Amino acid sequence: MSARSDGLARLGKAAAPTLLGFLGVILLAAPLRLAEGVIPTPILPLFVVFFWSLYAPNYLPSVCVFLIGLLQDFLTGGPLGLWPAVYLVTRSIAQSQRSYFIGREQQVVFIGFAFAAAAASLILWTVMSLMSGVFLPIGALALQIAVTLAAYPLFSLLFRRLRRRVVVEV
Amino acid sequence: MEVLGQDRREGLGRRAEPRVYLLTAIFVSILLLLSSLYSAEASVFKKARETVLDAAEPMLALLAGPIAFVQGMVGDVNDYFGAMEQNKALRDQIADLRQWESEAKALRRIIAQYEDLGKFKTPPAAQPVNGFVISDSNDVYTRTMVVNVGRGAGVARGQAVIDDGGLVGRIVETGARASRILLLTDVQSRVPVYIEDAGLEGILLGRSGGRPAISFTQSSEPTAFATGQRVLTSGAGGVVPRGLPVGEIVAERDGEATVNLYADYAQTRLVRVINYEFPKVDPAADPQPQEPLGPAPVGGLPAAPPAPAPAVEAGDEPRQPVAAVPPPAAALEERAPASIAAPEPPPAAATADILPAHQPASADPSLAPPSEEDAPLEPPDVPTEGD
Repeated sequence: MSARSDGLARLGKAAAPTLLGFLGVILLAAPLRLAEGVIPTPILPLFVVFFWSLYAPNYLPSVCVFLIGLLQDFLTGGPLGLWPAVYLVTRSIAQSQRSYFIGREQQVVFIGFAFAAAAASLILWTVMSLMSGVFLPIGALALQIAVTLAAYPLFSLLFRRLRRRVVVEV
Repeated sequence: MEVLGQDRREGLGRRAEPRVYLLTAIFVSILLLLSSLYSAEASVFKKARETVLDAAEPMLALLAGPIAFVQGMVGDVNDYFGAMEQNKALRDQIADLRQWESEAKALRRIIAQYEDLGKFKTPPAAQPVNGFVISDSNDVYTRTMVVNVGRGAGVARGQAVIDDGGLVGRIVETGARASRILLLTDVQSRVPVYIEDAGLEGILLGRSGGRPAISFTQSSEPTAFATGQRVLTSGAGGVVPRGLPVGEIVAERDGEATVNLYADYAQTRLVRVINYEFPKVDPAADPQPQEPLGPAPVGGLPAAPPAPAPAVEAGDEPRQPVAAVPPPAAALEERAPASIAAPEPPPAAATADILPAHQPASADPSLAPPSEEDAPLEPPDVPTEGD
C-alpha cells in the first residue's frame, strides 16, 4: 500500500464517526415517517455521539460533536445551539463515566445510554419550555426517547462491528 | 465481542482530548443559544439559516425521492388489499359529492347574478406555488417541514401552505430554492382563524405534540361553539387568505377549542404555497361598504377541481366567477367606479383568457376576500407581517 492511499485510508477512518453523525442528522431530517408517522424517527446522532465518545473519543472530537448538533439545528429550524448543547452534554456524560463503562457488558452500557438520553431530553424540554414560556407536554418527547432506546442495541451492534473491523482495527 | 476497550487503549494517541475543549464547546453552544434567544431574527443568523437551507436542499431532495417511492409502493400494496372496501367508500363519497356539486353549481349561478348586479366583488386570485416536502424536522419541540420551492418561485415569509386536506402551516424561512414551513402543531405557530357556524374569531395556537387549540379574543360568550364545526382561516393580519380550511373542533378545554386538523402530517408530501396578495383597501376611496362575505363561499379544498362545468343555462354566463378576476392591482383601481356602474368588461371573455392560468389553482375559488371586520385591522401596505 502506497503512502498516499495509506494516508487517505487513515483520513477516512478518522473522519468516519463525524461523517456518521452528519449522516444521522440528514436521515433524521428526512421524511421517513415510520409506520405512517406513528413512530418518530429515533434520534440517530445521539447513538453516534454516545458510542464514539465512549469507545473512541479521539475519533470524534468535541468540535465535531458541536458541528453535528449545529447542522441539526439548521435543518430542524430550531434555536441555534440547542442540539450542540444536548450532544456535548451527552459526550461529557459518556466521557466522565468512560473508565466505568469500558469493558462492561452491553447491558450496562445500555443503562448508561438511557441515562444520557434522559439527560438530553431534560435539557431539550427545559430549554424549549423556557423559550416558549409554557410547560411543554412531554408525551411526544417520551415516545421519541423510547423509540431511540429501543433502536440503540441495533445501532450499537453496527457501530461495534464498524469500530472493530474498519476504524480502530484491534 | 461483547465487551469493548479492555484489550487495548483507544484512539490515535494515548491521551484523550483535553477536557477544556469540551467545556469550551459547551460554553459556545450556550452562548449561541442565548444569542439566538435574544436575536433570533438577527440578519447573520437568518442569512446562515437560509444558506444552509439552500445548501442542504439537493441532499434532502435526493433522499426524499426514494423515500417517497418506497412509501408509495407500500401504500399501493395496502390499496391493493383494501380495494374492495375502498371502492365502496369512494362510491358513497361520490354520491355525497354529487349533491354538493349540484349545490355548488346553483351557488355559482347566484354569485354570477350578483356579479352582474355589481354587488359582489370577486376576490383577487392567489398564485399558488406547488412543491414537495423534502424534509421533516422530526423534532418534538420544533415542528417544521422543508419544501423544495423558494424565493425563486415567489415564495415569501408568512405565506400559507396547504395540502389536499387543508392548511399545513406557514412559511417562516425562505432560501432561494427551499423554504421552511412552521406547522400548526409547533408551539410557536399562531394563525388567525374563525369557526364557520359559530362566527367566532380566534387564534389557533400550536400545542407541541397535541392538537392545536383556538384561543378566543375577548368575547362575551366564549363557549358558543360546538364540536364538529369547521375551522377556517380568518384572514386577519393580512397574510393568510380568508377561508382556507383548517380543521374541525373536537373538544373544549379551559375555554379553548381543540382542533383536529384536516391536514395529516404523516401524509403531507405535495403542498401548495398560497402566494396571496390582499387587495389594498382604501376606505376613503370606497364610500360604499362592501358586502361582508360570510364563510359561505368557502367550498373546502378537496371539492375544488373545476372541470369547466357545463353552464346550466345561457352559454355566456360567467362560468367561473372567481377566475374572472382581474389581477389584484388592476382590481384596486377599478374598484370604486366598478361598484357604482354596472361592470362592463364582459366576464366571459376574461374567463376565457384567465382560466388556463388559474386552472391549477383549484383552491382559489374558495378564497374569499377579507371581510369588513378584518380590513381596517391591517395596515394596507404591509404584505407580510415579518418585515
